[in-house]
Amino acid sequence: MSLSLPTFLQARREAMLAEWIEASPGADAETSVSLSTEARNRQMEILFDEIMAPLLVDPPTDFLPGPEEQASLQEHLQAMVTEQARHAANATDPIALLFVLRQVLLDHLAQWPQASAETLAEDTARLTRYFDQITLFTFDSVIRQRDRQISEQSMSLMELSTPVLRLWHQILLLPLVGIIDTGRARQVTDHLLEAIARHEARVTVIDLTGVPIIDTSVAQHIMKTIDAARLLGSRVVLTGISPEGAQTLTKLGIRFGDVTCRASLRAGIAEALLLTGKCIASMEDSGR
Amino acid sequence: MPVAAPPDTGPVARERGLHVICIRGEQHVMQAARTARQLAERLGFTRNLAYHVATATSELASNLAVHAGGGHVYLRPLAGPDGHPTGLEVIAEDQGPGIVDLTLAMTEGYSTASRLGCGLPGASRLMDEFYIRSTPGQGTHVRAVKWRQAETPEPKRAAT
Repeated sequence: MSLSLPTFLQARREAMLAEWIEASPGADAETSVSLSTEARNRQMEILFDEIMAPLLVDPPTDFLPGPEEQASLQEHLQAMVTEQARHAANATDPIALLFVLRQVLLDHLAQWPQASAETLAEDTARLTRYFDQITLFTFDSVIRQRDRQISEQSMSLMELSTPVLRLWHQILLLPLVGIIDTGRARQVTDHLLEAIARHEARVTVIDLTGVPIIDTSVAQHIMKTIDAARLLGSRVVLTGISPEGAQTLTKLGIRFGDVTCRASLRAGIAEALLLTGKCIASMEDSGR
Repeated sequence: MPVAAPPDTGPVARERGLHVICIRGEQHVMQAARTARQLAERLGFTRNLAYHVATATSELASNLAVHAGGGHVYLRPLAGPDGHPTGLEVIAEDQGPGIVDLTLAMTEGYSTASRLGCGLPGASRLMDEFYIRSTPGQGTHVRAVKWRQAETPEPKRAAT
């Protein structure tokens, strides 16, 4: 009785799985500290069975379905990518893992007793196509994973970099740092207006020391923010425009009109206190 | 190199070190400006002039993003007659809708996108040389140069 390929592969399951886990990248490294070896092996076993499932259909089909048609395979591949992304430094690790499995499979395929040169070539081609599809899908998952991370990070950076600080009674400080694009400008304005309303601020100091370049679009965003702040009854003191920035702005033909500007944050704060009828005096003076 | 020969390149030898920044959206504008600033400072521009170049680059790049639906910014050091890099060339190129009336576009306070309308005229004032060429329906090509020392007594400008 002849041994069909699926039956043969089924019989070799344990051996192949062991070889895969043995040879897989990161098996010996300390990268998988948080995930115990057992948990990792179990995960690989599940993935192994998912990948093998179409190969074990008896009689063998000519075309193996790609990951697009196997929802659970997709799910497990993505789980593997996510897991790897959490520990491993290399983006290629999930791909390398699949290449190792393909090699293990091809090695075992060559040992199939019924193999002739013809069927071997055919099966090898079939298997390679199958793994190509899986690899492409995995690569796509890796990229999407990274994209997600990047956009999450930029979101949190945005959150970090738009604080509105209460400097004193009725005085707010808005230190702008980094790139001011349309999205951030809107967010900054939202935060500021909310804070002005909440604290009944009469003066807002906007500090531009951390803005690398003030061009017309940045200037326009700042002007809109200032206009909105004024409508809520807060005067604005603009500080931290560098000498280069000032020259460039005049060459560009941008005027901040009747906005109060001060060269340094220190001068801006003094101005803000003055506008609210306060000043900073040394203790000796007030003692006398 | 994908740069079409800009008009009137002048008697300067081309230096190596072309920087290409692909502008697809607002998020790439600052990258272009930052690259321009770093390049200018590396070429020995003063902080002030480097800021000028960076701002002009930022204006041109943001035009690409806002009006043309994307394009490319090319930055390249230019060598003076003595062979040392003394200038910085900024080229902004797009395949966008083009500018119908260049004179109007170079007019202070004119904008089709409800912006301040001083981007193009402002950028031309910030640079020593400024050339703009636009074919409606085909795209716009801006070439601007800043020299390390502003030796050019009369700034060259051209709109064709």
